[in-house]
Amino acid sequence: MLSFLSQGRRGSGWGMALPALLLLLAFFVIPVAGLLSRSVTEPQPGLQNYETLLGSFTYIRIFLNTFLVSGVVTLITALIAFPVAWALAIMSPRIASVLFAVILLSMWTNLLARTYAWMVLLQQTGLVNKLLMGLGLTSQPLQLTNNLIGVTIGMVYIMLPFMILPLYGVIRKIDPAILQAAALCGATKGQALRRVLLPLAAPGIASGALMVFVMSLGYFVTPSLLGGTSNMMVAELIVQQVQSLVNWGMGGAAAFILLVVTLALYALQLRLFDAEAR
Amino acid sequence: MSSPYLHINGIRKTFGDVVATDHVELEIAEGEFMTFLGPSGSGKSTTLYILAGFQDPTAGDIKLRGKSILQTPSHKRQIGMVFQRYTLFPHLSVGENVAFPLRVRRAPQAEIAAKVKRALSLVRLDGFEDRMPAKMSGGQQQRVALARALVYDPPVLLMDEPLSALDKKLREEIQHEIRRIHQETGVTILYVTHDQEEALRLSDRIAVFNKGKIEQVGTGPQLYASPATHFVADFIGDSAFLGGELAAVASGRASLRFADGTVLADVPMHGTGSAGGKASLMLRPERIELAAGPGAAGASLPVTIEDVTFLGNNSTVSARTGWGDVLSVRLNFGHPMMGQVQRGDALHVRWQPQDAHVFART
Repeated sequence: MLSFLSQGRRGSGWGMALPALLLLLAFFVIPVAGLLSRSVTEPQPGLQNYETLLGSFTYIRIFLNTFLVSGVVTLITALIAFPVAWALAIMSPRIASVLFAVILLSMWTNLLARTYAWMVLLQQTGLVNKLLMGLGLTSQPLQLTNNLIGVTIGMVYIMLPFMILPLYGVIRKIDPAILQAAALCGATKGQALRRVLLPLAAPGIASGALMVFVMSLGYFVTPSLLGGTSNMMVAELIVQQVQSLVNWGMGGAAAFILLVVTLALYALQLRLFDAEAR
Repeated sequence: MSSPYLHINGIRKTFGDVVATDHVELEIAEGEFMTFLGPSGSGKSTTLYILAGFQDPTAGDIKLRGKSILQTPSHKRQIGMVFQRYTLFPHLSVGENVAFPLRVRRAPQAEIAAKVKRALSLVRLDGFEDRMPAKMSGGQQQRVALARALVYDPPVLLMDEPLSALDKKLREEIQHEIRRIHQETGVTILYVTHDQEEALRLSDRIAVFNKGKIEQVGTGPQLYASPATHFVADFIGDSAFLGGELAAVASGRASLRFADGTVLADVPMHGTGSAGGKASLMLRPERIELAAGPGAAGASLPVTIEDVTFLGNNSTVSARTGWGDVLSVRLNFGHPMMGQVQRGDALHVRWQPQDAHVFART
């Protein structure tokens, strides 16, 4: 999904892109630069904000939490999205368009509403726990909110469309006859998946994973509602620093570390997959 | 009686109310080049897909060396196939594409290297191992596909219109290659095409498909010289048809009456029909003579010349019969009448009795 940004007609259309570029400059580049400068100037000039963040176990744990949750969310999302995208690609276009409408509708529903819905579903007396106990899978209610389990469940649900769409894009372009050819060559279903389907879908998996991972890194609403205070994520830390403590320097430094990680991952993805496509 | 190498036994396939193939019955010998020829939707591809295991027949059986293969899934049938579209794995090099069937069979590395080299050499692509499929022409890609299908020595090779995406010149070149490879390897080939010229050029025998059924099976010359049905006569080679009514039918011979009352007696008859039924007289253009009058022997009809088209090594003459049907006659270059015949001339078409065929029409 991200890769289309780098495709298209290069070198033309600057004039038409100008308003958007100006907007980006005014509301993204300048504020980010401001934040960055505040991270090395407040409360006094120097790198002490970064030293604090990367030097204390409390803060490092927040970063590790964030990367762990984002990684797990990305992995689970990919595992769920792949069969869905595959099914969408091979089913009749009419049924597929209905399913797409369902996926998009869930995407367009208010994020807060969806997260509160998960809070209700996942609480001690919620539907999920009742179901698990009713089926005899657990004897007492599981703690599914106020921790990283709740955050992961809620985020996987929210991120699914961002994985399904790019995966659907690549899978739809794979000629089904290629898989028939693999079968006649003697490949079992597993071998065809491993040796043919996954490598061909890899660019879609990569752009979906990048999208989900990066969005997860900076997610605020779901972690703050479904997560506990003891398992903070970076976005919560930034909000806390800026809103409650009015510590722009620390908030800026945390935000900048996330930005660097994001850009590094994006560069890696471009290097791995766009070079191949060229 | 020994069982045939490959026996397609009464295959029937329906999709809802649509009958794709109906009682397809065919015995194929080991090493034979058999072509399924027919228009699109005639059931030839469906039959091939059932052989490949992509579809299950509604009824019937397929036996290879006397054993049914229908319960065997595609990946265990060991059958090779070349598809209509390019189906090379785009992320793998040519060498890895050809090696793929061996890799999934976990063959030892040395064996893989040797067999890939041999297979690429067979399709005359020595040294192309490291090339990516996208950097190759369509013809080269189909040759790689052929190498990939043959690398594990399959008992049967299926080819589903493999040349339809190529231009005419390349098509002829690869037809030669396919013939050579068939001769060199002795592999049994089932080839699907809608192109009669391709079928005649390549095949030992041809099964002509129409509306889900096999109309006739035979060698090219057999089908051309003695077509069993109107459809086969029309599909293989050029032919002229004159419509009429059966005047009398007796022991494989018929008398045909045309609209103007002309009666042609004692013509070889194909199919079943009785006096009063509709029928067509079929003539091959190169078997028809153009002459000033009726000959002493053979059959003839008076015609009026409609049009003459010069085509280089021959001229095609359109001749209209007394009742308005038009048939075309071929005059080879150097024929005494070439250059003489003109529009509006009143002449006769003549032919030897054994060259005409009557087909009952239902």
